[in-house]
Amino acid sequence: MGILTQFATSEPAKADIFTTLGIDWKTLILQIIAFVILVWLLGKFVYPWLMKSVDERQAQIEESVKAAQAAEEKAESAQEEVAKLLKEARKEASEIIGTAKDEANAAIEASEKKAKSRADKIVADAHDQIEKDVIAARKTLHNDTIELVALATEKVIGKAVSDKVDDKVIANAVKEAN
Amino acid sequence: MSQRLSRRKIAAYYASELLAGNKDVAKQLAAYLVDTRRVREIELIVRDIEAALLEHGVLLADVASSRSLSAQATKEVQTYLQSATKAKTIHLRESVDATLLGGVRISTPGNELDATLRHRLNQLKASKI
Repeated sequence: MGILTQFATSEPAKADIFTTLGIDWKTLILQIIAFVILVWLLGKFVYPWLMKSVDERQAQIEESVKAAQAAEEKAESAQEEVAKLLKEARKEASEIIGTAKDEANAAIEASEKKAKSRADKIVADAHDQIEKDVIAARKTLHNDTIELVALATEKVIGKAVSDKVDDKVIANAVKEAN
Repeated sequence: MSQRLSRRKIAAYYASELLAGNKDVAKQLAAYLVDTRRVREIELIVRDIEAALLEHGVLLADVASSRSLSAQATKEVQTYLQSATKAKTIHLRESVDATLLGGVRISTPGNELDATLRHRLNQLKASKI
């Protein structure tokens, strides 16, 4: 309230408005010159450097974004590739399993066939061996029988043959020889 | 030194001389064999002489049996030998070998008839397989 009263009661200023406002021309001009110089200095040295940094930073960011996009695309591509590879791998695995099963079945069949063949051969060999053993046993029996008969005959004849029997044997032998 | 003669010639000479009644022929043969160092051939020469005698109708046969031959058996053997060899005179050299068990074995020059039980048993044993 005091201030308003002071303005109302004061006389119109004789000096210009700048003076009234407390603006010093000289100071103002110096400040303008300093500001211009400052602007010039900034425009000459700082601003280009700053803009350059900003541009570089922006370029880097853009590059990073591009790289990120590329990486994303690459990742997507890789994912697709992985999916494709997985699909192929599954298919290949399925084929391998199928082939392995076929081979295993074939191997089992071959083994069974071989085992059967071998078993048949063993049986045949056993039959042959048994037959040989039987023949050998028969031979042995035959020979043993002959040996026994010869021995028994010798023992019996040694005691049983009398002169009369001997004469008869001789007569028969001579008769057969004629 | 005496001339070396073949066994056949010696046998033929010996047989003819023996049949002619030359009693010294045995000594002559012995002397000849000693002189010609052929004593080791005596068995072969005797065999040849027996063959030569057979050619003259005289048969010397070895008869082996398990016991002494009876008159009947001897007669049957002689009959058999006469028909088989056509010999006019037959001399039997009998021998007894108990291991023959029975029957008779007759050996003539170049032939043998083994009708002994031992031989038959041996044949039976030989039939072993």
